[in-house]
Amino acid sequence: MARIVERDEEAFRVLVERHQDRVYGTVARMLGGAGSDSEEVAQDVFLRVWKSAGIYRAEGKFTSWLMMIVRNQVFTRMGRRKRRKDIDGQDLVDAETGESVLDSHPDSATRLPLEALSFKELQKAVEEACAELPDNQRLVVHLRQYEGLEFEEIGKITGQSLTAVKALMFRAREKLKKKLSGYLGASK
Amino acid sequence: MEKKRLSEEGLGPELERLLARVSPPKAPAWFAAKTLARLREEEARKDRGRFRLVGWRWAWAAGAAALVAGWILWDRPKAGPEISDAAVFAALDALVEQDEENRWWAGL
Repeated sequence: MARIVERDEEAFRVLVERHQDRVYGTVARMLGGAGSDSEEVAQDVFLRVWKSAGIYRAEGKFTSWLMMIVRNQVFTRMGRRKRRKDIDGQDLVDAETGESVLDSHPDSATRLPLEALSFKELQKAVEEACAELPDNQRLVVHLRQYEGLEFEEIGKITGQSLTAVKALMFRAREKLKKKLSGYLGASK
Repeated sequence: MEKKRLSEEGLGPELERLLARVSPPKAPAWFAAKTLARLREEEARKDRGRFRLVGWRWAWAAGAAALVAGWILWDRPKAGPEISDAAVFAALDALVEQDEENRWWAGL
């Protein structure tokens, strides 16, 4: 980071290569899939790191600081998306539950027969189940499950208390269990 | 006990196993190169913007300086013809002399 503060592009390239999967994966999970939108937001994250390198303090973990930037960029993009959707009158999402108000799709987890389970179907079901979680719950699940972060660290990233983070995790678990109930036996 | 508590706080072993099978997408191979290209582009744009701003500053400063100089030149008091004290006294003396001569001719 000290080299990035001094505008060393080579150091920046190393940092991008080291953290790109983590950042891109989180952004894609939060925005509902890989694509140009996720790529652009992930790039925004790294450009923000470049711009804000001067204010980074080495006391905390770098990944926590990075994830805080990811969270801010992702939530900004989602806010923009929601405003656009509200204007268009499409796919309105309930702010409290995070569920689509106009949801007419049958639950894919119950629609697919267990014996016909393929990786693609499982992937689709998990991604859909995660996408249906409210933003905060989805972020907590991702940071815990895929980044392996402690709840305290997740609290710092999301700006919430430890109890609130655990509550979000509990609610997310219940929703995922319900959505993926058809797959739970097959995962062993 | 500790393991059970952690598991209860997390997603639970079954869900964790299921979600572990579907890892989040990885960044495309060109991601770092594209990010660096975008960084260079933005830095270049920033430099151009800065240059443009500096150019504008110079234009503003030159315009303001021209206005101030014009105003000072326009407002400056015009220098009149200079008359020395001796010439003034000589003119006054001539007037007095002329007056005395006029009085003499008038018989006063």
